[in-house]
Amino acid sequence: MSHAISTLAPLHGLRVDLSRGIATAEESSADVARAYLGGRGLGACIALRERLYEVEPLAPENLLIFAPGPLTGTDAPASGRHSVTARSPLTGTLFDGNSGGSFGVALRGLGIDYLVVAGACETPSCLVIGGDAGGEGAAGGARGTAAGARGAAVGEVLAAPDGVQVALLPAGELWGMEVPTALARLRDAHPGAEASVIGPAGERGVLFASIVNNRGRSIGRGGLGAVMGAKRLKAVVVADHGRHRPVVADPDRLSFVAYEAEKLLKANPITSQALPEFGTAVLVNVLNQAGVLPTRNFRASQFEHAAAISGESLRRDFLQRRAACRGCGIGCARRTSTGDASGEGPEYESIWALGAACGVGDLKAIVEANYACNRAGLDTITMGSTIACAMEMTEEGVLPDGPRFGDAAAVIALCAATARREGLGDELAEGSARFAARLGRPELSMSVKSLELPAYDPRGMTGQGLGFATSNRGGCHLRANMLNPEILGVPKMIDRFATLGKAGLLINLQNLNAALDSLSLCKFTGFALKEDYYARLLSAVWGETVEPQELLRVGERIWNAERLFNLAAGFTRAADTLPRRLLEEPVPAGPAAGRVVDLEPMLAEYYLARGWDTDGRPRAGKLDRLSLSSAAVTAGLTAGEAGPTRSSSAPVPSAAAHGPGAAA
Amino acid sequence: MTSAVLEQFQRVGRDLFVAGLISSHGGNMSVRQGDRILITRRGSMLAHLEERDVVDIGLEENDANVALASTEIVVHRAIYAATSALAVVHTHPPYAIAQSLVKDEIVPMDSEGSYLLHKVPVVAAQLTAGSSEVAELLPQWLKEYDLVMLRGHGPFAIGHLLEEAYQLTSVLEMTCRILTISEAMGGEVKEYRKGSERYGSW
Repeated sequence: MSHAISTLAPLHGLRVDLSRGIATAEESSADVARAYLGGRGLGACIALRERLYEVEPLAPENLLIFAPGPLTGTDAPASGRHSVTARSPLTGTLFDGNSGGSFGVALRGLGIDYLVVAGACETPSCLVIGGDAGGEGAAGGARGTAAGARGAAVGEVLAAPDGVQVALLPAGELWGMEVPTALARLRDAHPGAEASVIGPAGERGVLFASIVNNRGRSIGRGGLGAVMGAKRLKAVVVADHGRHRPVVADPDRLSFVAYEAEKLLKANPITSQALPEFGTAVLVNVLNQAGVLPTRNFRASQFEHAAAISGESLRRDFLQRRAACRGCGIGCARRTSTGDASGEGPEYESIWALGAACGVGDLKAIVEANYACNRAGLDTITMGSTIACAMEMTEEGVLPDGPRFGDAAAVIALCAATARREGLGDELAEGSARFAARLGRPELSMSVKSLELPAYDPRGMTGQGLGFATSNRGGCHLRANMLNPEILGVPKMIDRFATLGKAGLLINLQNLNAALDSLSLCKFTGFALKEDYYARLLSAVWGETVEPQELLRVGERIWNAERLFNLAAGFTRAADTLPRRLLEEPVPAGPAAGRVVDLEPMLAEYYLARGWDTDGRPRAGKLDRLSLSSAAVTAGLTAGEAGPTRSSSAPVPSAAAHGPGAAA
Repeated sequence: MTSAVLEQFQRVGRDLFVAGLISSHGGNMSVRQGDRILITRRGSMLAHLEERDVVDIGLEENDANVALASTEIVVHRAIYAATSALAVVHTHPPYAIAQSLVKDEIVPMDSEGSYLLHKVPVVAAQLTAGSSEVAELLPQWLKEYDLVMLRGHGPFAIGHLLEEAYQLTSVLEMTCRILTISEAMGGEVKEYRKGSERYGSW
């Protein structure tokens, strides 16, 4: 380590209370920055401290926390990212989404390390930060008839903390606009601006609505777009990129480490060939060959039309050009077109959800359904999986006249109907768990903690199953994707069918990804890099030695903080499970034929390795070592030797109470 | 211990011997499973491991199995306590040991070694086998490097899987063979890498 001057400093925050029309500057200490980094970690820290587990997800009291990380906007590879955190209306858990694009970079350009949005507007509004925030046309030509936020005059500059202007402007004309149109209007009004917007789905309280920035980068999962919609906030606009550049203590060292990292990324065929050439859809054929491509609502794990919906087919028939997030040399994003329409994606997960999960082998229809979701601001995974659930309900005779597997037109139509909350779409807008429960067949929702599972059948990759079951935000592959060691051989190939001996590896991945989401770096770098590279990058930026072990310890702290949040929100060991089908129904054919997930012994091994008790509660000693004891006490969890026990009854999330039409 | 874990021990152990990285009864390896360590038995032949040759012992606390565990159990424990390692491989590769006797750090010149190792610190201790001195010294270096060379004794390599630690060990020995051969040939070493002068501070 050279003798660079440390840049580790308190984090500058901006808090906007929409209800009161107040914007204030705030600060989180350097100790918090070291303990949680930024991004997802900082979001978890704030959410736990401000007891979001006690608020209804769609109530004004829920917060939306936008946070880039200490590497955002630096020359570190694939670092143009930011997180958004809130309590999820879909799952009731703490929930963060992580997105590429330039929104986080722009925030840091204004000297803002995090943005907390509280309260709710009375009428549709647009939050503009930086530039001439309150200037004419600042909300995209939407000045005019709508009343402003309670307590703030229309177009009034709320405050100018640290010299940054903040204004809340009426967005009546933007309300109802689809995502691409709204983004284009905002770009016209603020040349060079970066905006995060919601589409009609978020406005109507669809519980899996997304927040979109750049030209299509999404905070996709968990319905954070519905939280934004409930606040009647159409957009957050960073009107200019500001004058701040992220301060790097040792630019020379950062440049050297980044160069070495790029060498590994270029030498790795996944990051240098597979992803750039085919996008994430390269996985369709890979996973189908392995017999872990869930098909028809996980009834099977191989799809007879996989080749037709593969990355190879996407490149051949629909690809316009490759695209990349800011600062990324991998470039996995796709710009595609079909007929007169063009747009982003579809990604692997979207192809699967709108395709194989629904028995649809028509890639053109999948592309169009994906565009429909993007325009409306819908999470494609939950959308497709919920339609697949409805299709199985139809086949089972539970849903008269419902959609059937393989009906591509129905998939497209239901995406649009869900965004508008029309007909069956209004029911699907609640996600598969609520939908299936209402029809009396909860086991047909392929979800964990009400979040629909992504495109991996854990019966053929058991570590992935343990990852799904223990994920703090529900059925998700981005907490720790065991695809890497179980299918792709990263860092090395392990026995994908083995039950025991995987907990340590999974925990390591969970902790590492929590740190990556907080730095904020793209997880795809993990195909080629390990924690020593990430630690060296952060060391160069901070000018202080950060050991790989410290990064993993930060990740462990974040993971346990999220766990505490969920325990306080009423989640118990019973939530760490998988859909019954995956535990009891053997895969009918293919390489994983006859397999189920033997979860219980894996879960026991996992809790032990985590330092949790047999009910999945962090032990007092563990909390102490992670400096989380006081947070546990604040959360009403008394940390005894046997682990924290909730000292009062937990509030049950009831998103539906605020759901349909709440934001209309 | 599951059959899958035993199979990993057997596969890596056999390869270590066949590759000439250990003598008949030399070397040891372990994996961490939560609060437990599975470590090779003291005096076991890594090329012929059976179930009885892999000892289950506490990560922090001793139990009766310490009588069976590898001599280096104290070092393995210290490494797990200080790093994110889930596997440790310790061997006695001849070229690497020879290099460690004449250098304070081993900086690879070959492509594979450069990519994977950048630099290997050489650390020295008076008591090199199973000593508390090594247990204190090595983990401090393994916080920053996945492989560290103990002078005159051999490398300790870490990874998330046994195979990773084995790979680093194998790459080190190949690197040291190449260094030894090229140094013996004399003449100017022609640099082909950008920024390699900085590997010493990696």
